[in-house]
Amino acid sequence: MSGAAISFRRVGKTFGGRPALDDVSFEVEPGETCVLLGPSGGGKTTLLRLVNRLVRPDSGSVLFAGRDVAGWDPVDLRRRIGYAIQSVGLLPHFSVEANVSLVPRLLGWRPDRRRARAAEMLRLVGLDPEEFGARRPSQLSGGQRQRVGVARALAADPEALLLDEPFGAVDPIARRRLQDEFRELAARLEKTVLFVTHDVREAFRIADRIAVVAGGALQQIAEPGRLRAAPATPLVEALLEGAPGEVSR
Amino acid sequence: MSLSGFLVQRWPEIVELTLQHVALVVVSVGTAVALAVPLGLAITRIRWLDRPLLGFAGAVQTVPSLALFGLLLPLPLIGGLGNRTAIVAMILYALLPILRNTVTGVRAVDPAVLDAADGMGMTDWQRLTLVEVPLALPTIFAGIRIAAVVGVGLVTIAAAVGAGGLGSFIFRGLAMLDTRLLLIGAVPSALLALVADGILAFVERRLLTATAVGAETS
Repeated sequence: MSGAAISFRRVGKTFGGRPALDDVSFEVEPGETCVLLGPSGGGKTTLLRLVNRLVRPDSGSVLFAGRDVAGWDPVDLRRRIGYAIQSVGLLPHFSVEANVSLVPRLLGWRPDRRRARAAEMLRLVGLDPEEFGARRPSQLSGGQRQRVGVARALAADPEALLLDEPFGAVDPIARRRLQDEFRELAARLEKTVLFVTHDVREAFRIADRIAVVAGGALQQIAEPGRLRAAPATPLVEALLEGAPGEVSR
Repeated sequence: MSLSGFLVQRWPEIVELTLQHVALVVVSVGTAVALAVPLGLAITRIRWLDRPLLGFAGAVQTVPSLALFGLLLPLPLIGGLGNRTAIVAMILYALLPILRNTVTGVRAVDPAVLDAADGMGMTDWQRLTLVEVPLALPTIFAGIRIAAVVGVGLVTIAAAVGAGGLGSFIFRGLAMLDTRLLLIGAVPSALLALVADGILAFVERRLLTATAVGAETS
């Protein structure tokens, strides 16, 4: 067994006869932030969803913590992996605090421990629990909702985070700030992060490594600097065109 | 005889038939809720149940009510003169709005919310009880309210098969060409429909508050 946090091994997937992924293999190291970058419809989200078994591969296998996820109870697996998506999916009839402490609740934590954890997580993503805890998701701005989504993903102290365009629905300025904060947070928490985006700047700002996924295939996986210096395929080169030459981190 | 004198004279009977009327609606709509909500939820889990169940409920709905009462009369166990036939017919009528609204309500839940619920590691049961049913509740209740209001009207026709209720006044009024009798059947029945809708609206609000999860009141 390798020491990788997440391994994709020759993964293939078709949706309704259309190939979505074709023979994709790579590994995500423990503690790294790996960004899946590429155009929409290229297979990034499918790769992400394979990890917590929201999608099952047609061929190949996906390993989490060295174990094939196919042999894992999906409910147990998902509670050990934080998950946040662009549309956020906060439960509209739950308060912010109840949303954040959802997975701890599913795991059977006691109410006082859940409450303390929710407050801690909200502070972590820059929201005052006193002010926001009792609110409904509908009473938040788009940026605040995405913060809550990330807080919820982190709440049960998962081993890994799966984030699908988690900052996709906010304005560029707020987005920039969220990215910077996330970068800091990821470094501090030492979580394994798989992060999907189609935004090249975002990828370069937060990634330890970038996996370029297009046309259902892994084009290249490399550190941001290497990727820029030596794009492996014309697709990667095309994607990086218009990308920042130097990104301040 | 003055109208007020007539009312006073008929008052005990009005009260009795109104209570009968209410009992028929409560029993039949209550049974229909107990059947249709779980069946509706089952449809959202087991797709092939969709067509047979909604098809059946829809087909019943197309049978004119008087004809349905008549059709049920000769059946063993179900049929016969009296309120049993009426209750069975009314349950059948109430199924469709409740069934359809339950299915529609659950299917209308935002897919992003469901994806998040799955991604958080909810079991199917948790997803159903914590997410889908609470979010579908207003739609489900809209169906129940329709069934109740329609049911109140329907019971008046059930008097034709001897079920009692305020319809007895109406049929008697029609037979005797007595407008006053017609009115003491029709007016309370209309009021009952409004009251039933109001009560259900109240229950709905209470349930919505109960299923919402506040700052750890869960």
